[in-house]
Amino acid sequence: MDRRHFIGQSAAALGLITGFSTQAHANLQKAEILVIGGGYGGATAAKYLRLFSNNTARVTLIEPNPTFISCPMSNLVIGGSRTLSELTTSYSNLSKRHGIKMIQDSVASIDADKKTVKLASGKTLRYDKVVVSPGVTLMTNTIEGLAEANKAGVTLQAWKAGAETVALHQQLASMRDGGTYILSVPEAPYRCPPGPYERACQVASYFKQNKPKSKVIVLDANQDVTSKGALFKKVWAEQYPGMIEYLPKHNVIAVDGKTKTVKLEVQDDFKGDVLNILPAMSAGEIAVKTGLANSNGRWVNVNFLNFESTAQKDIHVLGDSIQIAPAMPKSGHMANSHAKVAAAAIVAELSGWEVNPAPVLTNTCYSFVNSKEVVHVASVHQYNAAEKTFKTVPGSGGLSPVPSVLEGIYAWGWARNIWADSLA
Amino acid sequence: MRAKYLKASILASAILGLAQWSSAALAQNAAASDLYKRGLAATCANCHGTDGKGVVDGGMPLINNLTSGQLLEKLKGYKSGALEGTIMPQLAKGYTDEQLETIANQLGKR
Repeated sequence: MDRRHFIGQSAAALGLITGFSTQAHANLQKAEILVIGGGYGGATAAKYLRLFSNNTARVTLIEPNPTFISCPMSNLVIGGSRTLSELTTSYSNLSKRHGIKMIQDSVASIDADKKTVKLASGKTLRYDKVVVSPGVTLMTNTIEGLAEANKAGVTLQAWKAGAETVALHQQLASMRDGGTYILSVPEAPYRCPPGPYERACQVASYFKQNKPKSKVIVLDANQDVTSKGALFKKVWAEQYPGMIEYLPKHNVIAVDGKTKTVKLEVQDDFKGDVLNILPAMSAGEIAVKTGLANSNGRWVNVNFLNFESTAQKDIHVLGDSIQIAPAMPKSGHMANSHAKVAAAAIVAELSGWEVNPAPVLTNTCYSFVNSKEVVHVASVHQYNAAEKTFKTVPGSGGLSPVPSVLEGIYAWGWARNIWADSLA
Repeated sequence: MRAKYLKASILASAILGLAQWSSAALAQNAAASDLYKRGLAATCANCHGTDGKGVVDGGMPLINNLTSGQLLEKLKGYKSGALEGTIMPQLAKGYTDEQLETIANQLGKR
């Protein structure tokens, strides 16, 4: 080997080495990253993919709704103390400030082999990475007669904030004083564990002021209140005595919209004036349809280091659709937390770096027990490498000791900040 | 003579190559580690704003103008129980001291 030849070779080797990092960097810039769903998970993922890549990643967010309407706080609209417009945020900052391409459309299908997404409008988009954050599907067919009763406008869910939220308040407003509101709770896991119990408080709060002879009946398929149980029961007894009847182990199996009758698996029928029937839930429709829901056909198993689906490579699933880790709630705050871990992992992967081996998630959840007072639950979830899951840290997290107005102020502070963190 | 020269050249090139490689690797490690730190600090953003810049007059106590030192003092106070609060004493106990230091360094006013 002569000298010139050798130098040439080592230069080539050097080029290979330094070329590796520029190549990986180029992968990040060239990659097409699609985000499906602009809720707490998807919007946050889109924004943080841009932030964590120092605005170099190409990110497209696909969301059918023209604006973001928050599910957290929406029970206050049902209780009549707030309006939907107070919970509505524009998507415009994601494009204006963060350079995210927004497509207002829904996704018809994902082809994981060809790595394409087909939009409802017919257009096909290619991806290198796709983030799927489609929330939940309400499994209406698990309760006999519910689909018909929904269609007739008799029963409502209002478990995705929007027009139904307002419609449910209107049903309560037009109900006679002395009427009965029935809320049924499906077996866990479902979106927003304390949500039904907060809703019972909000409806009772509305009745107390406007229709004091009316009643709230909670038919819960679970063994007991699934979140903040002691706090809610104390509030029901002290603030709404005789108004809220809580019935655990009451599993709704059928509803008759014509006679407004709810049928239970074990107990006798109930009749009500306003029927708010929540069926069992599963991962969002597109996740189920794509074959991602490989946990019981309902939820999506993910690798908790990067939130990649265990069923398909380069499809990352966030938020309510995933099969949860122990003590991990399906909440907006948690979806926002998932999104940041996934966004950082995707940026790392496309840059040729190891993904963070020790990610951390938090959750906080505020429930309004009337229009002003709030109770919270909070937790910290550290990744456990040995068990490949997130676990809450012993001695951390917890509940409010009592409802307070101060936490009501913090709850609004939380809402305004998480909306800004996800969307502004 | 020629063989000797070649040996030196190999050695020099190898050293040069290794230095280049390790500086590239170090740069990558530094960038990756910076990303991990940003990810950790982002666990605060849900309540206290992206990069610790919270919504002014939004209702949540702001950390916008705290230095790293002030932040760390507060976080440690919440963790030890020296400082009272609603959620923060519960959350601070979920992080290691090292993580709290990283968060304070990331979010402190620059």
